[in-house]
Amino acid sequence: MNDRTRHLVAAVTGLGLGLAALGPGLAPGFVLSYDMVFVPDPAFTRMTFGLTGVVPRHVPSDAFVTALAAVIPADVVQKLVLLAVFVMACTSAASLVPSRRLLPRLATGVCYAWNPFVAERLLLGQWALLLGYAALPWVVAAAPRAHEPGGTRRLARALLPAAIGGFAALTVSALTAVTVALATRGERRPRVVRVVVTAGVLSLPWLVPGLLRPAGVPGDGTAVGLFAARADTPFGTLGSLLALGGVWNGETVPRSYGAPVTATIWLLVVVVALAAYWRWGQERRGAVIAAMVGFVVASLGAVSPGGLEAVIDLWPGFAVLRDGQQYVAPLAVVVAVGLGLAADRAAEARWPGVAAAAMAVPVFLLPTLAWGAAGDLRAVQYPDDWARARHIIDGDPAQGDVLVLPWASYRSYSWNHGRRVLDPLPRYLHRRVIVDDAVTVDGTTVAPEDPRAVRLAPAARTGAPPAVTLRDEGVRYVVVDAEPGTIRPSGAATAVLRGADLVVYRIDGAAEATGDQVPVAPVAAAWAVASLFVFWSFVAPRTTLSIPLLGSIKPRDPHRRRTP
Amino acid sequence: MRIAIAAVVGVLLAAGASFGAVQLANASQKDPVIKPLYNYGAR
Repeated sequence: MNDRTRHLVAAVTGLGLGLAALGPGLAPGFVLSYDMVFVPDPAFTRMTFGLTGVVPRHVPSDAFVTALAAVIPADVVQKLVLLAVFVMACTSAASLVPSRRLLPRLATGVCYAWNPFVAERLLLGQWALLLGYAALPWVVAAAPRAHEPGGTRRLARALLPAAIGGFAALTVSALTAVTVALATRGERRPRVVRVVVTAGVLSLPWLVPGLLRPAGVPGDGTAVGLFAARADTPFGTLGSLLALGGVWNGETVPRSYGAPVTATIWLLVVVVALAAYWRWGQERRGAVIAAMVGFVVASLGAVSPGGLEAVIDLWPGFAVLRDGQQYVAPLAVVVAVGLGLAADRAAEARWPGVAAAAMAVPVFLLPTLAWGAAGDLRAVQYPDDWARARHIIDGDPAQGDVLVLPWASYRSYSWNHGRRVLDPLPRYLHRRVIVDDAVTVDGTTVAPEDPRAVRLAPAARTGAPPAVTLRDEGVRYVVVDAEPGTIRPSGAATAVLRGADLVVYRIDGAAEATGDQVPVAPVAAAWAVASLFVFWSFVAPRTTLSIPLLGSIKPRDPHRRRTP
Repeated sequence: MRIAIAAVVGVLLAAGASFGAVQLANASQKDPVIKPLYNYGAR
């Protein structure tokens, strides 16, 4: 069996895992869960590129989805992206096992694609983070050779899924890549420089609008405790992180995960896998140190919240470290490869049953990831009222923005089976939509970041914002997408759509919105540089950009003869 | 042949896990709507 076939088998296995995990989510419609928001017919707007002044967490993942949705339906795009996570995760992790045997490679692939980290982040709707996670094993393999000929291109290609995922995915992958590059012996400086430059260039689409926000870089130190890792097994926070779980949100832990018996078996599997990696792993130094660094970062918020707050006070950009559990991703690489190495040794000792068990154990210990995480991830259709609202609002040539009420960022729509989801209206409508971007966890609210939301909050929070205030702030429409009978703007607002799921009010004479916009030119330049860099990473070595763009510039040999 | 066997084993594993999960979910169905309605989540 050659390498290509081995990769194919791993990809097919990943596809099987993805189909099993998504289950009812593969039906026509959209899976809406926490941060996972996909909408029909998305459009390129200023928000897509982070030009409206909001924090560009959705850049460039929204642009990627919008571009794909121009070719195929958006609900199909969502399913393909989610399946790609499983296919890539299984294939990339399996490729790290230095064995010609199939079972050990598949044991690694299955472990990496099916574990508490994937389950919890999938339920939390963080598909963009999972894109980067899925390609992380390729990053771990490419980082030590970044300084070799073609190495930077290879690293850029490995980082591309994380670059599409955006700031969280790329931060995790870049931290891993830099650590691996630093920890690998020999020629550290050229290697690290290339890793940093590659990650930096790929970050430009979200880094530039983020830095150019008129409101600056946000970072609320008070949120450290809210987003710190938490125990979801009987082994405390650190034990839960070691078991690749420990997500901050208790609502996104898979059902039945953390039961004492299965959690103990899983933790034993993890410990055995780590021991196997330490004993038999080749080039183990870089990945092990990256896993250790990731683990330390992941536990910061739980072990030393004061220290992390001080770091965020130093520079708000360090707020990216608040949601610590995402940094155990490199530990997942080591655990998965270690499990594969253990399975390989078992196969070598003619214990095929042990090797097969290594492949099956992650699935059997976490069965509730299957079937849409035991039915939690279900595809739904947006109500017809939403399509009518979009027809009215997007068909109106008059200027003015949209305000969404109730004044909160997350919703539990009955038509989405009550599952929490970030309000989809900013993506669903093609106008600038102002929504409360403050998030509330356990009664504690993290400060809003969108300057327009901050200005409108005092009025919007009342549930009956004066129409005159909204008009002066450039709001033309108010959309009430929950509790439509009880909330409405006060004063001169006309109801132009009254539905069971949504009500739209129009306010005539909206003023022109001012300020808070990010300048277009630097953002366009950032996209151009990043796009050219990605293009360069895919062209063959020793070619120039003119060749694929303009055709070969090499003159034909006049003496060349055609073969008959 | 080995590819086919690996693929079938993978799919069977996944199908088995799916079936188990559905049984579990049905046995312990809980209301996903957790008050208050507008929270991001709960620790």
